[in-house]
Amino acid sequence: MTSDLVFLLPLVTVTIGAILLMLLSAFEKIRIEVSSALAMGIFAVAFLIQLVPVGPDDVRPFVSLFNGILLVSDFTRIASLIIIACGFFTAMSSISYFRQNSFATLEFFSLMTFAVSGMILLTMAQELITVFIALETVSLSIYVLVGCNRRSVLSTEAILKYLILGAFAGAFFTMGAALVYAGVGSTGFAAITDAIAMGGLLQNPALAGGLLFILFALFFKVTVFPFHAWVVDVYDGAPIPVTGFMATALKTSIFAVLANVLLLADDIRGTWVDMLFYLTVFTLFAGNLIAIGQNSLKRMLAASGIVHTGYLLIALIAVSGDSFSGSVILYYLAAYAASTLGIFASLSYLSGNDEKRRDFDDFKGLAKVRPYSAAVIAIFLLSMAGIPPTAGFMGKLYIIVTAFQAGQTALAVLGIVSSILSMWYYLRLIIAMYFHESEDAFEVSSSRSAPYCAFILAACVLAMGLYPVAI
Amino acid sequence: MFDNVLSTMIFLPIVIGLAVMLIPFGSNAARRIGLAASLLVLLLGVRAYFSFTGSGQLEFAETRNLIETLGIAYRLGVDGISFFVLLTGAVLIPIVFVVVRDRPRAFYGNLLITAGAMAGAIAACDLVLFYIFWEIMLIPIFFMIGLYGGPDRRAATIKIMLYTVSGSLLMLASIIYLGAAFHAHFGVWSFETIALTGLDLSGRTATLAFFGFMLAFAIKIPIFPLHTWLPDAYTEAPAAATFLLSAIMAKIGIYAVIRFIMPVFGPELVHYAVPLAWAAVIGLIYCGIAAIGQKDMKRLLAFSSASHMGVLALGLFCLNIQALTGSIFQIMAHATSTGLLFLLIGMIEDRLQTREIADLGGIARQAPIFAFFFAVALLASVGLPGTSGFIGEFLIILGAIKFDTTIGIFAATTLIIGVCYMLWMFQRVFFEKGNDRTAGFTDLSAAETLAFLPVIVLILLMGVFPQPFIARIEPAAQNHIATVQATGRTSGQIALDHTLQQH
Repeated sequence: MTSDLVFLLPLVTVTIGAILLMLLSAFEKIRIEVSSALAMGIFAVAFLIQLVPVGPDDVRPFVSLFNGILLVSDFTRIASLIIIACGFFTAMSSISYFRQNSFATLEFFSLMTFAVSGMILLTMAQELITVFIALETVSLSIYVLVGCNRRSVLSTEAILKYLILGAFAGAFFTMGAALVYAGVGSTGFAAITDAIAMGGLLQNPALAGGLLFILFALFFKVTVFPFHAWVVDVYDGAPIPVTGFMATALKTSIFAVLANVLLLADDIRGTWVDMLFYLTVFTLFAGNLIAIGQNSLKRMLAASGIVHTGYLLIALIAVSGDSFSGSVILYYLAAYAASTLGIFASLSYLSGNDEKRRDFDDFKGLAKVRPYSAAVIAIFLLSMAGIPPTAGFMGKLYIIVTAFQAGQTALAVLGIVSSILSMWYYLRLIIAMYFHESEDAFEVSSSRSAPYCAFILAACVLAMGLYPVAI
Repeated sequence: MFDNVLSTMIFLPIVIGLAVMLIPFGSNAARRIGLAASLLVLLLGVRAYFSFTGSGQLEFAETRNLIETLGIAYRLGVDGISFFVLLTGAVLIPIVFVVVRDRPRAFYGNLLITAGAMAGAIAACDLVLFYIFWEIMLIPIFFMIGLYGGPDRRAATIKIMLYTVSGSLLMLASIIYLGAAFHAHFGVWSFETIALTGLDLSGRTATLAFFGFMLAFAIKIPIFPLHTWLPDAYTEAPAAATFLLSAIMAKIGIYAVIRFIMPVFGPELVHYAVPLAWAAVIGLIYCGIAAIGQKDMKRLLAFSSASHMGVLALGLFCLNIQALTGSIFQIMAHATSTGLLFLLIGMIEDRLQTREIADLGGIARQAPIFAFFFAVALLASVGLPGTSGFIGEFLIILGAIKFDTTIGIFAATTLIIGVCYMLWMFQRVFFEKGNDRTAGFTDLSAAETLAFLPVIVLILLMGVFPQPFIARIEPAAQNHIATVQATGRTSGQIALDHTLQQH
């Protein structure tokens, strides 16, 4: 029991940090900058702890904790590292953002830290009730973060939509968990695997139905078609750092759960492979069609996030249970997180007071006035479009390789076609930034933390593309 | 430096190009640095030429693992054909830095980066590495058109980007398919070009993969009906970018068909040779006729270039030794003549602020050296005997007649059409009566004359004395034709065994 706790140190660190931040903000003893610095410190410490291997046992493929409720493996550890890094960079860039927006509250950082702790728990959870608790911790924190700009109509609309639909998803999940319990007599993942191995999935309708409900709830969170409709408005209404945080950390954690659930037994994917195939194809193309029509940058990024979910689904379908395919998902998530957080960090810096620069047209001529910012954004966009030599290209390469290897040729080709479509809206921003004259002086935030954050991330994106690690 | 001569030729321009962009040099300093870098690359190329043995094996090879689990490696090497293309680029690029003056430093930086990436695409012996360079070389061109191009530049950038990226992404799918097929056959991943020739592909997927590659290269070359991006991009791009697009990038498309499609997709190429040859013929006649009616010199030349690229492409699909030798010869011949013409037109535009044929006239009287150089390049481009263009096009048409008489006869019309629009344009621009505008036209400076002179000499030399060039090309062409016509895909087997031993 105590030895198990060693594996939970990162989670414990973040949770204690979150409580500490909450107490400090309750008494209003600190300034926003200090609060952000504390959050960054907490994430940095947790990141380092997670990086250090725990004893000789660490080489085992996985360690089961607390009677199989949690599980620690290389997969969960790397997923947590990505999530913690997302938290760190969001905390860093939000200072620039709050200099230009007056609604900063101290609770912001505390809530974000709570969300990160829930996400770390999500990656490790091996039992439905634990997944639910973690999921609700994350969701509740993010609901508040989305709506924390109370004076903004958009933000209020966003929280309302997200809260109501999210509550539905939560209800679906609970319903599913109850059905699974009815079918199996346990909520543990191990028991589900055993039940499927003994009787088959479709012979146990309660289990099959329950799992489907759970999948739908998770699909809602990662914006799989047809559960994607909320995302554009919510991302648009949420404050920029929160949008970036949701798009990256939340997606990483939910995909970790999805991978855990889908990999419980080959039967699960085998039974629904057709459904997953069509959902993936529709996710790719719905995302592209929505993104092509957008004029607002945040809305475009939200829609392009749907497309990236589609690519990750390709990897999930093609996943074969060996270590390679797991790392493909993680690599893509890391590449996507670095590019997306980078763009949102740049926007935190450039969007002006009360996010006044929102549309493609507002960024016309940026390269003439702020060449470095424009160059960095261009790198992130090229990475999202999958153009070498960036991380996004390597991620896409791995995913297509996995799809071909698994015999999913159609998915591979459709994924390629969808990235051709996505060139359109990524190029649009580059063309606006570079090939138009500037009409704006582009005054920026007085804090330079977000641009530093963007530069670090741009370096990561290029490094991942130039020195691809063997995975 | 010489141990890794190919890497140096690739990364020296790229690194210096990035430095020029980041460090605030003046425009002139940036241009001189670019000139020095490209001359250094040329020097290395010449040095390599003397130690190049022409054995038919890959020379100056370098290998470093990138992603071991997938067999993706940093593999470089050149044989007769690719070394030829590489040198063409190395010879031509320094001229740009002499001729194109007073541009922002980022302009010169972009030029250098493209130059390096193009060398990388030519020297790459790993398909994934090739793809990476293939994509990188387009990005600076995209920015050059968008930042320094003509009035309709934005539409042109979108057109060229969407066209070429669609092609290359489908090629990426085909590349990965080949890797996966290799893995299925032999249990290891490899994207090495020589190894992949050993694959025994068949069926529908192989055909699809063939078209994945073909589409990417056909867009770049371009082959009818995928040429529609070209007139806009060539016209709107600044002269230096048009020069790179026409003289080198389009040639890399031709080279890639020879390098990647012929050895790997021999049966598919044989099967689809006739329709592809017809596409090339239709393109060369169509673009030739379109060129006659143009009022803008640059646009005229863009269509002319597309027309002549159709001839080059035709040479590939005839699948005989004459036509292929002609195509490889014509890579260099056409690169030098068209490249020069685009640069010279760029100079007219710089000096007179117009490219409209109707606004010009009488330049020959003001600038005899300029007119002479223009005439040589122009005559080479239309294939006048005694210039390089004649040898290449003659061989191709010879091969085409051997392949299919009808196609050959149609292809031969290009010579007539070419003479029509080119000489007519030359007459209107250089002779006839001058006007106030052209009266102030200054001739080439000493430095500019010196920069153009070697290429002019080369054009004439290749036309009068082609044998040394053809002697180097023919064995490689023979080799490729043998590979394709054997169609049993046996020739790759030896290379494959070699690769498997390495693993």
